[in-house]
Amino acid sequence: MARRKAPTPVRLPRVARGKKPQYFSDPAIDKLLWMTMTLMEELSVARDRIDTLERVLDAHGVLRQKHIEGYKPDAKARSARATRRADFVDRMMRAAQAELSASSDAADPHEEARRAVEG
Amino acid sequence: MSAFKHHDMLPTPSHDEQARQDFVASMRGHLSGRLMPGAYQLYERRVAPALRAELGRDPDEAEVRRAMTREPFYQFWSAMQRRSQEMLWESVIDPTERELPSLIDRAKSRAKPVVKPQQAQKAQKASKHPRALRRRRRGSLRLDPSLPLPRYHAAVDIHLQPGGYHTDSTADDVAAGVIYDKGLDLYMGGALGAENGLMGDTLVAYIKERHPTLRPRRILDMGCAIGNSTVVWARAFPQAEVHGIDVGAPVLRYAHARAEGFGVPVHFSQQNAEGTDFEPGSFDLVVSHIMLHETSKPALQRIFAECRRLLRPGGLMLHLEIPRGHTVFEQFMHNWESYNNNETFSRYMTHIDLAAEAVKGGFARSKVRVDEFAMQMSVAQMNYAENFIWKILAAER
Repeated sequence: MARRKAPTPVRLPRVARGKKPQYFSDPAIDKLLWMTMTLMEELSVARDRIDTLERVLDAHGVLRQKHIEGYKPDAKARSARATRRADFVDRMMRAAQAELSASSDAADPHEEARRAVEG
Repeated sequence: MSAFKHHDMLPTPSHDEQARQDFVASMRGHLSGRLMPGAYQLYERRVAPALRAELGRDPDEAEVRRAMTREPFYQFWSAMQRRSQEMLWESVIDPTERELPSLIDRAKSRAKPVVKPQQAQKAQKASKHPRALRRRRRGSLRLDPSLPLPRYHAAVDIHLQPGGYHTDSTADDVAAGVIYDKGLDLYMGGALGAENGLMGDTLVAYIKERHPTLRPRRILDMGCAIGNSTVVWARAFPQAEVHGIDVGAPVLRYAHARAEGFGVPVHFSQQNAEGTDFEPGSFDLVVSHIMLHETSKPALQRIFAECRRLLRPGGLMLHLEIPRGHTVFEQFMHNWESYNNNETFSRYMTHIDLAAEAVKGGFARSKVRVDEFAMQMSVAQMNYAENFIWKILAAER
């Protein structure tokens, strides 16, 4: 039997026709603010989702919201969280770290690389 | 909280899509209610005194703009206001795109007669109120794919709605209408009410106050988009035959399906307000709601001339418009929309004498007036204005 072909989904336009104004002296700041607001939105979405999760679990008697509020992590949980937080901060700050380590190199590694590949 | 009422020509957002729309509403409430007043303070306390000292006189709007757009606070508010407008549309486009095939099917089924003749006979036998069934009046939809889009309409996407009011992304598309309906509610912070009807309500209230004896038999709503105001007119004057015109096909398909779903008979057709195919003198009342500032200088006169042609002697033309500010700074703030939200013509409206334009369109000077008319609005949807009082251009034929 011939399988019915699913219709091609319609893509709606996402960008409005017309030039976008520049708000800051450096257009990079415009883009950063754009991204910040989108991150704010997604964080708000995630918070709403966690809230939904807690309320649904509470309503079904799986857990009580007061148990989440009253939760005290034990030593093992605290240590695991501290490691995860440090790792998160490391990854976030790598941009600055990379700049630091590059400037602390005595010799220019690109110069060394160039010499190495030229043989 | 918005009083906006969900109906079945709108998609049902997923959990996260709803959360995005909620975020946009909260964000815009903060930008208008908390941050925007800071622009007024900044201007009064620092920018205006500095400008006066430098110029030795009061600044004009261009000078205010140059000074304000250098202010970090204004840059920040303005950039965020702009991004919130983009996010507003994104949050509505996602669920619309997902449900589009089903929305189009729903719109098509609305366009068919609700009751087939055989079913009507059967239903009449069964129903206790057969006459009510027979009496159900129906609206209609007439599209004209050959109608040229005015350049002022299509050159940029007005309000940053991607694709504007007019882009068809597929056959029988209704997306632009769906997106506009929910987007309008978010844009106005829910101030337009359960059916986005506040602007229609405002003009109806104006008529009941200023023309209490008027009983229009035929009403035309120009630039009706999704018919949110048109439906208000049809409900306010149920004996009248009500028409709505717009240049955008997808918004009209949606308007028709929406009105039929509400059980309100409206006749929609794809036409340009600058020149329609209606008979001369065939309307008692011609209205528009925030349409004029989305047209052009040459179009204004043509629209007023067309209104005059369409009205019977003694008939009434009413155009609801956005206030443009009394002080230079208010004018600058109102024109944020023009420079940042693709409302190109709205900034020219600041200095256009609408009454004079109506006279050029053929109305007698003594029969034209421009009124300010207040309707209760909450702070959340002010966007950029401290005082929001509608402007109404009224002219009798």
